[in-house]
Amino acid sequence: MFNLLIGLGIGSLYACLGAGLVISFKGSGVINFAHGAMAMYGIFTFDRAWSGGEFFLPLVDFLPTSTVNVPVRITLSSAGRWPMIPSLILALLMAAALGLAAHFLVFRPLRNAAPLGKVIASLGLALYLQGVALVNFGTSFPQAKSIVPTEAVENFLGLGKTFPRNTIYVVAFTILLGFVIWAGYRFTRFGLATRAAAGNEKGAVLLGYSPQTLAAVNWVIASVTATLAVIIVGPIQGTITPVGLTALIVPALAAALIGGLRSVPIAVMGGLGLGAVQTLLDIKRSDWFTGPALGWLQSGVRNTLPLVVIVVVLFVRGKSLPSRGSVVERRLPLAPQPKRIFEHAFVWLTFLVLLAFVFENSGARTKFANSLQNGIVLSIIMLSIVVITGYTGQISLAQMTFAGIAAFFTARMMADGIGRGANLVPVTGFGLPWPVAGLIGVIMAVIVGVIIGIPAVRIRGVQLAVVTIAAAIAMQSVYFENDYITQLRAGVPAYIKTPTFFGVDIGARSARAQNENPNFVIFGGIVLALCAIAVANIRRGGVGRRFLAIRANERAAAAGGINVVRTKLLAFAISAGLAGIGGVMLGFKQVEVSSANFNYGFGLSVLAFAYLAGITSINGALIAGMLLSAGALLPTFSNYMFAGTNIDKYITLIGGLAIIVTAIANPGGVAIFLSEPFRHAGNWLVSAIPGMQTIRHAFRGPKSFMVRLVLVVICVGLAVWLRQAQFVDNVYLWVLISVVGFLILGMIFARSLDKLEPSFAEAGAQWNSWFKQFGVTAIAGYAAGWVIWPIRVDSYSKLWMPIVGAVLALFVRSIVKPILSNRASKTHGSDTDSDVANIRTEVG
Amino acid sequence: MALLEARGLSVRYGGLFANNSIDLECRAGQLVGLIGPNGAGKTTFIDAITGFTPVSSGEVVFDGVNLNDKAPNVRVALGLSRTFQSLELFEDLTVRDNLLVVAQRPKWHSVVTDVLWPGRDERKYHSQVRWALEMLQIESLAEAMPSDLSHGQRKLISVARSIVAKPQLVLLDEPAAGLDTAESHLLGERLRGLLAQDMSLFLIDHDMGLVLNVCDYIYVLDFGVIIAHGTPSEVRANPTVIAAYLGDSAGEAQAREGAALLSRESGSDAQSEMNQ
Ligand SMILES: Nc1ncnc2c1ncn2[C@@H]1O[C@H](COP(=O)(O)OP(=O)(O)O)[C@@H](O)[C@H]1O
Ligand SMILES: [Mg+2]
Repeated sequence: MFNLLIGLGIGSLYACLGAGLVISFKGSGVINFAHGAMAMYGIFTFDRAWSGGEFFLPLVDFLPTSTVNVPVRITLSSAGRWPMIPSLILALLMAAALGLAAHFLVFRPLRNAAPLGKVIASLGLALYLQGVALVNFGTSFPQAKSIVPTEAVENFLGLGKTFPRNTIYVVAFTILLGFVIWAGYRFTRFGLATRAAAGNEKGAVLLGYSPQTLAAVNWVIASVTATLAVIIVGPIQGTITPVGLTALIVPALAAALIGGLRSVPIAVMGGLGLGAVQTLLDIKRSDWFTGPALGWLQSGVRNTLPLVVIVVVLFVRGKSLPSRGSVVERRLPLAPQPKRIFEHAFVWLTFLVLLAFVFENSGARTKFANSLQNGIVLSIIMLSIVVITGYTGQISLAQMTFAGIAAFFTARMMADGIGRGANLVPVTGFGLPWPVAGLIGVIMAVIVGVIIGIPAVRIRGVQLAVVTIAAAIAMQSVYFENDYITQLRAGVPAYIKTPTFFGVDIGARSARAQNENPNFVIFGGIVLALCAIAVANIRRGGVGRRFLAIRANERAAAAGGINVVRTKLLAFAISAGLAGIGGVMLGFKQVEVSSANFNYGFGLSVLAFAYLAGITSINGALIAGMLLSAGALLPTFSNYMFAGTNIDKYITLIGGLAIIVTAIANPGGVAIFLSEPFRHAGNWLVSAIPGMQTIRHAFRGPKSFMVRLVLVVICVGLAVWLRQAQFVDNVYLWVLISVVGFLILGMIFARSLDKLEPSFAEAGAQWNSWFKQFGVTAIAGYAAGWVIWPIRVDSYSKLWMPIVGAVLALFVRSIVKPILSNRASKTHGSDTDSDVANIRTEVG
Repeated sequence: MALLEARGLSVRYGGLFANNSIDLECRAGQLVGLIGPNGAGKTTFIDAITGFTPVSSGEVVFDGVNLNDKAPNVRVALGLSRTFQSLELFEDLTVRDNLLVVAQRPKWHSVVTDVLWPGRDERKYHSQVRWALEMLQIESLAEAMPSDLSHGQRKLISVARSIVAKPQLVLLDEPAAGLDTAESHLLGERLRGLLAQDMSLFLIDHDMGLVLNVCDYIYVLDFGVIIAHGTPSEVRANPTVIAAYLGDSAGEAQAREGAALLSRESGSDAQSEMNQ
């Protein structure tokens, strides 16, 4: 009983946030994953003003120079502190501003978007706010001061124990808040209009309110109550961190769902109850969960509770098929069939090889190798999202969890009872070789994937997202952070043995313990290529068609004889399997497996970045993994090129912003912009290298299997050859030799198939016409790079910057040109760009 | 021998009996019609037969198999297929893929074969798709996206999709709604053409004209109850039908007028439905 009362403290936090979620849902139909993050910005604003006397706007100085700055930090008082009341008002104003911004800049433009788009946008918002907070407030957070008295009450209610006084205030505040909100919505005209608008926008109009104004006001109310609640309730829960506050979204969602996303009082009661039971379980876990049967639950039971509540509430309400007349889900971006695999592989390989030489000196080469390893691993995980969300339309936030399951299992299967690496405590295991252990890990991921997929049978859209994130959090504490199961003490990572292939070390680390072993890139590249081909084949075959049918319309799919349940579970199985492969590779890459790598929060950003890059295409997955994510190629490249920009620090923030823009303006993601350039580049490369057309033709011809085999051998050979780079002093000479050597090899191969096509003369003509067409742009870009970058950037690579400028100029041209020619062809009738038309007929 | 038999079928939505103890038979090789005004419970009947809505009492027997408690996709596998009043096409897939995904019957190893060799044994399904498109004379639309097509074309695609797996019985929910007289006449012809292909049809419409013209046998539904059934001429002459539609009992001569009137009315109904 007493323990239940203690838990009301944390319960209040869930209750207040849950109430806010209900309000924003009623106001605009959005389940706001950024709710916790918005409250977080509010409380930091308060804390910094009250105990630091300073105020940060929710943005950062994004200009990469020290001469021109964007105002961010405002000093309120030089004494380093500010009175409490103005600080509080300032924080609430900030919350109101954030609420308005969330409505007008993010969710209002998205009011007709698919649920996935809204989920992604709110994740983007959360990422942005987290990113801003990390930059502005740093990573070390002092214990926020409480504004309610904290001293204890002796002999509380005659129970003979002391009870923290603040809990009493806080609970009273929560109940009062719940009551005020309830009464406000029950008895005012505004509340009536909101309720009317939730059913039907016309209802609100009849009452004389614009639905958009109503939504905006509701956003402000949600944001302000959340901030107020966290300021009052938060500090009694210990240190407040941006990530921790964002995580509160899950129990808060559980509370909101108990209230059916409709009733604030029930949500408040639910939140209080949830907190109480959680705390009770927390205190009693060592008494209740003992012995081999239940002991493993000790550390995870607390975080499993919200999952159980959410699943039960939603599963009971859900239906195995959407009912007639339920609004058909708005469409996700199209998922076109992957075509021109040959050209794509060619472009990606060319791109990577070129990039490899950009990082010419050895220090940067290590960074490049590391980011390439990162990219390969992440791309595999991104592919798993393409299958589950892109193709099948199920929003899963648990992909990193599947990866983690596979990785942890693999590590354990390989463990041999000897402590090594960072983990000197021995972990028992089976000492299996890595392929067997990895396979077992992936199979475990598949099993867990199917289990987590079961709720998807009856739960759809954003509610499924809620279930999967709850599952991810539960898994994290039941398994990854549970030393009862993992035998790892105090968050120490599990050691994973280096994989070898017939005695060759194919692990990630080099002799000097850096992530630069090129063998791992070859190994990972092969795994990634196989996974990408598998996903492409799935999309081109019947299985993928069934996935897309379910994504498009579940009722029609069932009427077409598709077993919707089994197909959804299959999608989860395949996706979890891919994520599992990614997880195992991540384990090999890190040489250890730690729960931090598979944090549920990372799972959120993985989904968001997958969407940013293009969630329905393989190119999107590769872009997401290789280029966009933190630690991948683009940030590394950018840090190398624009030394001093420290883009790593801003990646969450820029990513969050880009994700919001993508969700609103370009749901197809970056891949949309790249598909045309890819096609052009692929075709151009094929037509500009003697013999390539011969090979491409044979690639699709009757002898295709043999041709593919030879090409794979050449690719792997090229990779093995490239890894010798470290032994050559003059890298340029070496590039020249490699490129020429492999071109000759390719031509010999082509000649053995048929006569060379294009011939040398034709290829030469291509180069010539390329220069005529693009030379001006390229030179202009080169010159611009030379002139402009030094002004913006403090230090830079004089050799590469102009080249980057040239590439950027070409990229911009490739985006702008089709738009212009489109416009031109609209006004001038059917006079299409002959260049584009040519390529179409040639390929088609 | 009846192919499909509904015995005492009732569907309840809360307090409302959308279908009340319906007895109905579809014979193999016949085109059976079900007519009734808006809200009579026609769609509900198809939903109940195909497993999209739970049945509160009664049973459905198809080809000697009791369908109660069978999932929709199982019923499809038994040879029962349907269209939707609101079409429900797969908007993200081309017309060809719309049909292909339905024509294809996955096997347990489909995933593996697909991953290794996509489209390996799809030739059979492609010819089925071609056949279905030809039956409705819409071969030219194969590569189009459904969202780019006219309402009439979309209707034909939904019919093509329902026949592509060569089911025994196809339940068509108002395939003619929103079509003009000529289009609807053409549709009737194409439906009769399907009968020659070993297929039985069950046609719902509130366009009396079409139903009376093409059906072999007709049931009339009103407020969830079958109020009459018989051959088209019997139904046309049935005083209860006339009463239900016109509100007074009248002779046979009036009945024909009534039918004409009704088809005009329902035409405009369908129009307004579409506009929503
Ligand atoms: N899911 C449902 N819940 C409640 N009532 C429904 C539902 N579906 C249909 N109805 C009601 O059942 C009756 C029959 O509807 P329906 O079968 O669509 O008629 P018809 O297809 O003949 O126009 C109507 O009164 C309709 O309002
Ligand atoms: Mg109907």
